[in-house]
Amino acid sequence: MLLNNKRKILANSKRKIFGIIIALSIGAMIIALFLAILNVANIIPLSAKSTSPDIIHLVIMSTIQALLSTLLSLMVGIMLAWALNRLEFFGRKIIIALFASAIVTPGIVIALGLIDVWGREGIISDFLQIFGIDWDFSIFGLFGILFAHTILNGAFAATILLARLDAIAAQKLKIAQSLALSPLKRFLLLDLPAIKNTIPALGAIIFLLAFTSFPIVLMLGGGPSNQTLEVAIYSAVRLSFDLKLAVQLSVVQLILCLLIIMPAIIFNQDHIRAGISSNHRWQENGFSKFMQITILIVGIFVFMLPIISILLNLFSMEFFTLVLRPSFWRATITSLTLGASSAILTLFIAIIISQAKIALHGKISKALIALPLYVYLIIPALVLSLGFYILARQLQISNSIIAPFVLILGNALLALPFAVAVLAPSLEAINKRYNKLLSSLNLSSLSRWRFVEWPLLGREIGIVLALAFSFSLGDLGIISLFGTNEFTTLPWAMFQASGAYRNNDAGIIGAILLLIIFAVFLALPVIFRKFSNVRS
Amino acid sequence: MFSKYFLSLILVLLSFGALAQEKPTLNIYTYDSFAADWGPGPKLKEKFEQNCNCTINLIAASNSISSLRKIQLEGEQTKADILLGIDTSIAAQALETGLFIKHEIDVSDINIPNGWSSDYFVPFDYGYFAFVYNKEKLKNPPTSFDDLIKQDIKIIVQDPRSSTPGLGLVLWIKSIYKEQAKQVWSELKPKIVTMTKGWSESYNLFLKGEADMVLSYTTSPAYHKIVEDDDRFEFAQFEKGHYLQIEVGVIVKSSKNQKLAKQFLVWLISKEAQEIIPTTNWMYPVANIELPKGFMEQEKPKVALLIDEKIVFENSEAWILEMLDAFK
Amino acid sequence: MLEVKNICFHYEKQKQDYYYDFSLGEGEIIAISGVSGAGKSTLLDLIAGFLMPNKGEINLNGQDILSLPPERRPVSILFQSDNLFEHLSVNKNIALASLGNENSNENQSAISNALKDVGLENFGNQLASNLSGGQKQRVALARTLLRNKSILLLDEPFTGLDEKTAKDVQALLKKLVKQHKWHTIIVTHNKHDANVMGAKNYVMKDAVLQSE
Repeated sequence: MLLNNKRKILANSKRKIFGIIIALSIGAMIIALFLAILNVANIIPLSAKSTSPDIIHLVIMSTIQALLSTLLSLMVGIMLAWALNRLEFFGRKIIIALFASAIVTPGIVIALGLIDVWGREGIISDFLQIFGIDWDFSIFGLFGILFAHTILNGAFAATILLARLDAIAAQKLKIAQSLALSPLKRFLLLDLPAIKNTIPALGAIIFLLAFTSFPIVLMLGGGPSNQTLEVAIYSAVRLSFDLKLAVQLSVVQLILCLLIIMPAIIFNQDHIRAGISSNHRWQENGFSKFMQITILIVGIFVFMLPIISILLNLFSMEFFTLVLRPSFWRATITSLTLGASSAILTLFIAIIISQAKIALHGKISKALIALPLYVYLIIPALVLSLGFYILARQLQISNSIIAPFVLILGNALLALPFAVAVLAPSLEAINKRYNKLLSSLNLSSLSRWRFVEWPLLGREIGIVLALAFSFSLGDLGIISLFGTNEFTTLPWAMFQASGAYRNNDAGIIGAILLLIIFAVFLALPVIFRKFSNVRS
Repeated sequence: MFSKYFLSLILVLLSFGALAQEKPTLNIYTYDSFAADWGPGPKLKEKFEQNCNCTINLIAASNSISSLRKIQLEGEQTKADILLGIDTSIAAQALETGLFIKHEIDVSDINIPNGWSSDYFVPFDYGYFAFVYNKEKLKNPPTSFDDLIKQDIKIIVQDPRSSTPGLGLVLWIKSIYKEQAKQVWSELKPKIVTMTKGWSESYNLFLKGEADMVLSYTTSPAYHKIVEDDDRFEFAQFEKGHYLQIEVGVIVKSSKNQKLAKQFLVWLISKEAQEIIPTTNWMYPVANIELPKGFMEQEKPKVALLIDEKIVFENSEAWILEMLDAFK
Repeated sequence: MLEVKNICFHYEKQKQDYYYDFSLGEGEIIAISGVSGAGKSTLLDLIAGFLMPNKGEINLNGQDILSLPPERRPVSILFQSDNLFEHLSVNKNIALASLGNENSNENQSAISNALKDVGLENFGNQLASNLSGGQKQRVALARTLLRNKSILLLDEPFTGLDEKTAKDVQALLKKLVKQHKWHTIIVTHNKHDANVMGAKNYVMKDAVLQSE
């Protein structure tokens, strides 16, 4: 028995050490990036007088906007998850996969889709015109930002929460059902405990996304009164080339965001007592069923309309001209290769960090190991890109050689918090459930993964890969300094096209991006679930 | 397995490098839509390479300012020979870096409103900022900012901190209204639907019908006319004038191919090269060539406004803050 | 009298048909054994209403119960574990049985009576998660008492309990079933348990329920 215990600690401590090494390397890399920029900032004289921007105003606006976005997204997410958990209908899996992909769809593409639907000359306006009703609604301003964020992040939150609800043990559901719990009691006694622990970390991620959501905020914000700190950082680099100010502002953003999300990460208790996905579905009747159907229909309607309007771009005359262009295929292949590579890297790091997080004891140490994940999300892509660029130069590595690696690494790190959010709870549930068994079996860390965790985590692994893959497909930020003609990705091609009046081409590429993302989200979880075998 | 591939990859890259050594390579840092398939870059490259026994390598960043920043970061070690595509609002900043040299090219013939005299920068095209509208939807386009403020018109503009036309609008208003600029901005505020990060988002929103007018260029209607055969678009002619955007090229001090660079710039302002510019970069050429028909539908602005680049350099931040102040 | 008449059931993706045909009277206990996957728990799900049979009838005292949704069937169900909400107190867990106000005096005394009957008088305010396995099963039984439905379904209720605790719970269960005249079906892998309870023995073999 004593021996067993020691062995168990050995397997766990290996996991801890790996995790800590990875977390520290990410942290060290970010510090190195900052230092590299500061180092250069001292050499390069200021290009223009930079007057310090109104930081306090920007910070307050960003915080309010991000908090509201988070709150609304969580509310919508819970409602959608609730409805999806109760209802059984044809196409349920497809809807879930589409919702899951919401968070990685390129923000600008979705924002333009929203305009197609809700804009002055959008679908709804056209529809109302038939009845002679004037559509006097503006999607611009704080409302527009919140609207876009709630759709994107709410749909994503729904899928994460739904996984928790679907994992409530079948026996528990049966007991509750035969006790005839009311829909409200069912929610309070079964659902809420199941999702309670997921909400803080999920909220933290959504907050960061909303806080740093640069293109959507600028596009739908309606003017400088609704803007983020990132605008100031952008301006510092672009207009005055005041790198020191850019780093300072990034650090302000970093500290501020960490202060806000830290409590959420620390007080995120780990009592997740979930079984592994149960297939018992308990539908409700009457008013609550009516509500569920209403929520779902509204959710699908609001979410799907912009997407459909984006996909309609595919039926454009220019479609064939575009796809016959060799540069389009180069971009596609580059994008797919980058996406696949960074997906694998993300999965690898996410597994190590999740395992270490579970092996570690104490809330503070669990939070600390998760910290570097968020850091990367907080710092503006422009600053990161700048840091990598300078670092590469200092290391005397040619741009075209390092560019793919930077893109792969950068995108993998961006996707990491989402990957861990998907992976860690399920991994934890397995470890809790089989804790005694695992320790008595003396399994090494590797065979524990091979025989226990991997077979049970197929679906989650598929989701993580899909997330990370799509993230690097849709990302533009990191590439901005590295992009050259020989090295073009699909988002870059889209950006190029829309910068040259070619909105049709841009629309088609946006639609193709969405199609790829959906395909990946539909296929990968299913494939990996089959691949890793057992489950039902 | 991986290392094997990696090695062969390096070998391939090296051999490319070796091949390129035989001919001199002219590295041109420029912005992305200049180098795009449909932009002027590839055509200029093809034409110039026919006679120069050299290779042109276009290296694009997302915008011209980023290309400048790249050169600043790379300093003496930059492989750039020419920086192409920055405009006059940022030119003084570029000069300040000391990374560029005089062109020693005769630019007296250059056809630019108000003339040209810079020793460092060679202008290769120009345009005017303007508000573009759809004439089927907007019957009485404004003829000045005052007129615009009086009418019930919605416009979309760009953020001056992240976009060239956005900064252009700040300079445009400043050049007309001087001390009253802030007042004009606060009166414009209710007309502005949104202020996007870049020109492309604005233009997209405008085409989707989100506003009556968009801040763009006087040459935008020509694109729709020539490429899409769509003549609904026009720009609003402002009586007090339009702000000029002049795009320039400049030779990098550390370049080892300065002769070739100069040769390229001389060629760039020749008629042969300038023929390519209008329908690829959608700007006015600087040589006296006949413009394609689509460019002639509307008269060019009568008054060209331009603030001295030194003054822009010293004041643009303050002017942006002044504008932001008006939005509070 | 609970009559399970010619019930036939098959899962959507399986070819196997399961057959059940038996009846049992008030206060009677039957025990069902069989290898795992033989279809023992399926029977409980069919009676409780979590699954619907493809053919056959289930009647209680001549009344059809198949047409009732699970929450309206006269059924109490008890599993090996997961019977309680761990984050609630014992009192609250039991109170879930009655739909009325759990704080009313009437309910309060009913709950404490039920707890007394299962030998856990002073445990009302404990958190369910702090109880031992045997205690948890007793609390679940107390809730069953309060609901007092005519059918009691038990799925491996003694698994995981030590021998002495299992015996105690069995004795308690036997007494309560007699007292309240519940039609009781126990799924168990342990024949000895069944004998102690004085149950009639059935076995699931070749997907058919057979008496031994």
